[in-house]
Amino acid sequence: MYRSQTLAVKYLSAAIALFGIMTLFGLISAYYYLNPDFLFGILPFSIAKIVHINTLVIWLLMGFMGSIYWFLPGELGRETAGIRAAEVLFYVFCAAVAVVAVVFIIVQYGSSNEVALWLINQGRKYVEAPRWAALGIVVIMVVFAYNVIGTAIAARKTTGIITVLMIDLIPLILLYLIAFPAISNMSADLFWWWWLVHLWVEATWEVLIGCIMALALMQLLGTSRRIVETWLYIEVALVLGTGILGLGHHYFWIGTPNYWLTIGGFFSALEPLPLLGMVVHAVYDAGAQHMKTTNRPAFYWMMAEAFGNFIGAGVWGFMITLPQVNLYAHGTQWTVSHGHFAFWGAYSCGVISVLYLVLQKTRNLAFVDGPLWKWSFAALNLGLVGMTGALLVSGFVQAFVERAIGGSTLNAFISGQENAWFVDGMVARFLLAIVFTGGYVVLVWDALSLGRRAPTVATVAAAQ
Amino acid sequence: MSGLASLETGLLLGLYALLAGIWGVLWALAQFRRTPIVGRSAAAAYGLHTLVALTIVLWTPLGSGWKCLIIGSSLFFFALPPLTWRLLQRTHDNERSEHDRESSQHSRRLVARL
Repeated sequence: MYRSQTLAVKYLSAAIALFGIMTLFGLISAYYYLNPDFLFGILPFSIAKIVHINTLVIWLLMGFMGSIYWFLPGELGRETAGIRAAEVLFYVFCAAVAVVAVVFIIVQYGSSNEVALWLINQGRKYVEAPRWAALGIVVIMVVFAYNVIGTAIAARKTTGIITVLMIDLIPLILLYLIAFPAISNMSADLFWWWWLVHLWVEATWEVLIGCIMALALMQLLGTSRRIVETWLYIEVALVLGTGILGLGHHYFWIGTPNYWLTIGGFFSALEPLPLLGMVVHAVYDAGAQHMKTTNRPAFYWMMAEAFGNFIGAGVWGFMITLPQVNLYAHGTQWTVSHGHFAFWGAYSCGVISVLYLVLQKTRNLAFVDGPLWKWSFAALNLGLVGMTGALLVSGFVQAFVERAIGGSTLNAFISGQENAWFVDGMVARFLLAIVFTGGYVVLVWDALSLGRRAPTVATVAAAQ
Repeated sequence: MSGLASLETGLLLGLYALLAGIWGVLWALAQFRRTPIVGRSAAAAYGLHTLVALTIVLWTPLGSGWKCLIIGSSLFFFALPPLTWRLLQRTHDNERSEHDRESSQHSRRLVARL
């Protein structure tokens, strides 16, 4: 095994650990809606939510990096360039994440001054990490980009997938720099901030996961490179074609010119089209393979990725993407429902799929199957779909009672929060979050115990 | 647009996209399982999708531009699964013939060496 692949295992392990912390803080955040006094004076809701969202970003980022470190040496036929720096930075990354989390939980907030901005919290949603940590992320991403590009240069070769990946890493780093300026005009600040949030999630991350899934498909199903690359180009073009200007759906109500209503609505309404293409592709692959594979969990998680992406990002997003509906729906639990489903479908399922591929290779297993992964697959997906359904019900109440009837006043907000349907939705969300957490526990259990039950390649070869 | 109309429009838009997805999946499944029920279900899903599209066009207070977009998208959704399928088949067929050609050239080279 290459050193890069050993590093990949570490990254994926850290990612799964952070996935657990994200789930725990999600559970805590969900419980505040049932009992607002929970942890009163110890941990406010806002901090639990910050930890929940930031660990989401970091676990996925670590999952992506782990996946790339896993596939890169095999793809280019040599050890990753600058692997020593990458190994050191992995520990720095983990330590920085731990320090930031401790500061969030214990210090929580500071004064509105430069010291707080540098050491406690940058104060920008989703990228709250203090500036020193944000700078650290830039360094880590630059080294990661060097690892990929340097390996291609040292190997004196590239492939279609790696070329797409190399091009993608440039905007990935540049867009993160938007996390730094502190702009006092809120409209201008939000305008640029959405470049970071939207164009990371709906452009650069989409391309990144597209590359990872392409590499995983070749390993999992033995699909030929030409087919995978052709589809990567098509899907990347379609996703970027609709996703980049789909940015406009975040510009509806932040003080930007009116033309964004048309641009944002139009391009984001087109977003389900490429996602449907991916679903058809998934069915084709599943049918062509007759659902036969040596790694069933990886295969099923990959299928879940295609379907979850379409339903979470496509269907759920389409409900609220036109400005007329978005006027009432934005910022409600309806949007939260879309966010949960879309992140799950588009990214999380893909990272879990790669995790199973890596486990198969590192433990030298001939077949990966068994009851545990099925339980975790069912509980995680059922929990997630149930949570998003419950959030959708609560979101409807907010859009209707608070926004449309009440006109977004404080009284209307309280009426919305006290409405029986809203409360029931929140209770259901919490119960289903427990199911999701159970699924996570089984996933970890399966990942830890996988090699003990399944036959190894050597055993199967001997039996034959 | 009233509050109730906004909720109903949002729900209809979700249903519209969901039925398009079901149409795509069933159509693709029908290519593998040539049982009439799957093909008919796919047609039914697209029929329902069209019905929802018509409801959005005739009944919701969306502007005419957005309604045109809904109709255009419905046509795209109809064409997308067969187009994707054909493209997939062509890529796979090309790959297979390339593979066959490569292996036959390889055997010819082997024979020549012998």
